[in-house]
Amino acid sequence: MQTKDCLTIYGEQVNSRLLIGSALYPSPDIMTQSIVASGAEIVTVSLRRQQSATAGDDFWQLIKNTGLKILPNTAGCHSVKEATTLAKMCREVFATDWIKLELIGDDYNLQPDPFALLEATKILINDGFKVLPYCTDDLVLCQRLNELGCEVLMPWGAPIGTGKGLLNSYNLKTIRERLPDTTLIVDAGLGLPSHACQALEMGYDAVLLNSAIAGAGCPITMSRAFKAAVEAGRFAYQAKAMPEKDVAAPSTPTMGMPFWHQQ
Amino acid sequence: MFYNIAVVGFGLAGRLAALELSKLHHVTVFEADDEQTPNSAGKVAAAMLAPLAESVLCEADLALMGLDSMKRWPEIVSGLEGDVFFQQQGTLVVAHQQDKGDLQSFTQRIKPIAGQSAQALNAQQIAQLEPELANRFNQGLFLPCEGQIDNQAFYKASFTMLNKRKVKCVFNQRVTIKNGEINNRPFDYIIDCRGLGAKSDKPLRGVRGEVARLYAPEVNLTRPVRLMHPRYPIYIAPKPNHEYVIGATEIESQDSGAATVRSTLELLSAAYTVHSGFAEARLLNIQTGLRPAFSDNRPEVSQVGNVISINGLYRHGYMLAPALVAQVVSRIE
Repeated sequence: MQTKDCLTIYGEQVNSRLLIGSALYPSPDIMTQSIVASGAEIVTVSLRRQQSATAGDDFWQLIKNTGLKILPNTAGCHSVKEATTLAKMCREVFATDWIKLELIGDDYNLQPDPFALLEATKILINDGFKVLPYCTDDLVLCQRLNELGCEVLMPWGAPIGTGKGLLNSYNLKTIRERLPDTTLIVDAGLGLPSHACQALEMGYDAVLLNSAIAGAGCPITMSRAFKAAVEAGRFAYQAKAMPEKDVAAPSTPTMGMPFWHQQ
Repeated sequence: MFYNIAVVGFGLAGRLAALELSKLHHVTVFEADDEQTPNSAGKVAAAMLAPLAESVLCEADLALMGLDSMKRWPEIVSGLEGDVFFQQQGTLVVAHQQDKGDLQSFTQRIKPIAGQSAQALNAQQIAQLEPELANRFNQGLFLPCEGQIDNQAFYKASFTMLNKRKVKCVFNQRVTIKNGEINNRPFDYIIDCRGLGAKSDKPLRGVRGEVARLYAPEVNLTRPVRLMHPRYPIYIAPKPNHEYVIGATEIESQDSGAATVRSTLELLSAAYTVHSGFAEARLLNIQTGLRPAFSDNRPEVSQVGNVISINGLYRHGYMLAPALVAQVVSRIE
């Protein structure tokens, strides 16, 4: 019997391979409708700018009403101390030990700081967190994070909010090949459904995105497009693509053609 | 018909409603706070009238309503005594070289409303419009239909005018509106302009905004300037006497406490990158307001019996309030 194809995050299984963000939508209504349309089962939220869960209560209520599993993030943190403190606050507020660890190294392209990321990951894992680190597409960094105990890694496709897609597919493929048993999620930089599809085609387990949907002309429709693209990419991966060839091979056999028609 | 009307809430919508309705009717104003209305979002706002720029964020019908309000403001202001600064000389939108992507995406997302459009500018054209921004920006946009108002002057002048018309303003009184009456006192109409004060009756949320007011004698900008930036998009609204309002953060939070250091740094750093003359500016105040919003971020005029409510103006108070108040007036008449 065929087992159900699920995404595994720290032992928990979810059906949707699309994780969605909760920022930058034109309105809370459009946010909730987009989230529903995406079919996502996990939504990321940032505690930092809401300042406290009580103050942002109405907004939280909307997110809670979606019934999705919440993945809090440490967006906007620049130091190990800031990120670990915020992670602990998130654990209290959202009652989850999951944390998307985001530690910014460069303020301009919001590039993760790989050195601080390792340090913060170590601290948080020792503290019992299930860390989902947002990292660059560097193999050695991914290996180190994996060795520290991260069961999920989230390398970027491109810098946050750029919509450029998978800038270095060679790196991403290498990470996939070298860490075959780790759950890998492309996080950030996607702009088009085809980018998400490519990530899934190359064997990534899921994608996480926000701007590509929230910043679209019609976020709800774009949500549907990403849902379909992620499903297509996963099917394609499972189906195993045909090998590429340099020479054309006709799909219709030429047998039976008159001799004078063959060169 | 001559009516006995109560206006509840003395923020922007309440003031505009009281001004319009007291021309023909007997009006009483009730306000939960004191005369200074410290919790009114309209008092803290930068009071930009920016239907074209805001069309990036809101639906086209609201932007159109903004154009309608734009036509109404000069008449509202001229009906007041004293100098209330109102301007319609367009908005300048600029971006630093490395952020031109943000300017491009902003340009693409401006909705075409009623034949109004944005004009692309090069460095020279920017310098012609705002000489002090010469050599600072290579690309920009001009939104000719836009303007702004001095909201603090408007708040003062509207109160003065209502006093002159002998409109009774009851402060420090949080009233209950029940069965078409206020604290069991009957009125022909009750105009509910309480904003977030109506939260117990309506599904409203507060959206926190922080705004800095500066005195900058070294800066001479003649019209509002918006800076496109991936993380700190701000606007600078020049008010009379070298005062500048820099706004605004937008945070999903009900916290009306003092501005944070982070927000202050963001607002002021961004302003400094537009014009280095802000370095020597005096920080007059930095205030926090909560914008009342419904979950679709759209305003609502609704009526139950003799109670008409205006609410959910979100970040578009000055842009929408005159048109919404006109709807209320037409319902009554």
